[in-house]
Amino acid sequence: MDPSSTGIQEPFDLIRLSLSERVFVKLRGDRELTGILHAYDGHMNLILSDAEETIMIVDPVDGNFEGQGTVKVAKRKMEMLFVRGDGVILVSPPSRT
Amino acid sequence: MSGSPTDFLKGVVGKRVIVRLTSGVDYRGILSCLDGYMNIALEQTEEHVNGIVTNRYGDAFIRGNNGGYRSRR
Repeated sequence: MDPSSTGIQEPFDLIRLSLSERVFVKLRGDRELTGILHAYDGHMNLILSDAEETIMIVDPVDGNFEGQGTVKVAKRKMEMLFVRGDGVILVSPPSRT
Repeated sequence: MSGSPTDFLKGVVGKRVIVRLTSGVDYRGILSCLDGYMNIALEQTEEHVNGIVTNRYGDAFIRGNNGGYRSRR
């Protein structure tokens, strides 16, 4: 395998190394989350605390797709959050530099 | 040469790849590893939507069910 940076042998290692760290999560339905990762499992069910959800609401009435003309952004905060794994697209840990 | 899909994927670890999700979003980065569910870990990842870079991540975990297809660059 690839011993390049910090000895990640399987994708879940990346998540394990992010426990107790603030992570970025991209979800289905144009939603994004940041929060502190407390727990996860093989389905990528997640427990996040101090979570902020960002919801992108694209207005299709405007035929102007050039610069994604009308995108509304809604945000909400949650103290503690369970995320069902099947909605997860991507998880990114804080940069390890 | 390389027979099975698994052999191909082993060979492509550490290389620059493009992962396209079913949603049409592309992730370009260095493939650091993958598992039997096709969960993927990428390094130096760029998110491309319609050819425009929309995000950059140092590392990224992509859940396998989102449909990955990868290619050498």
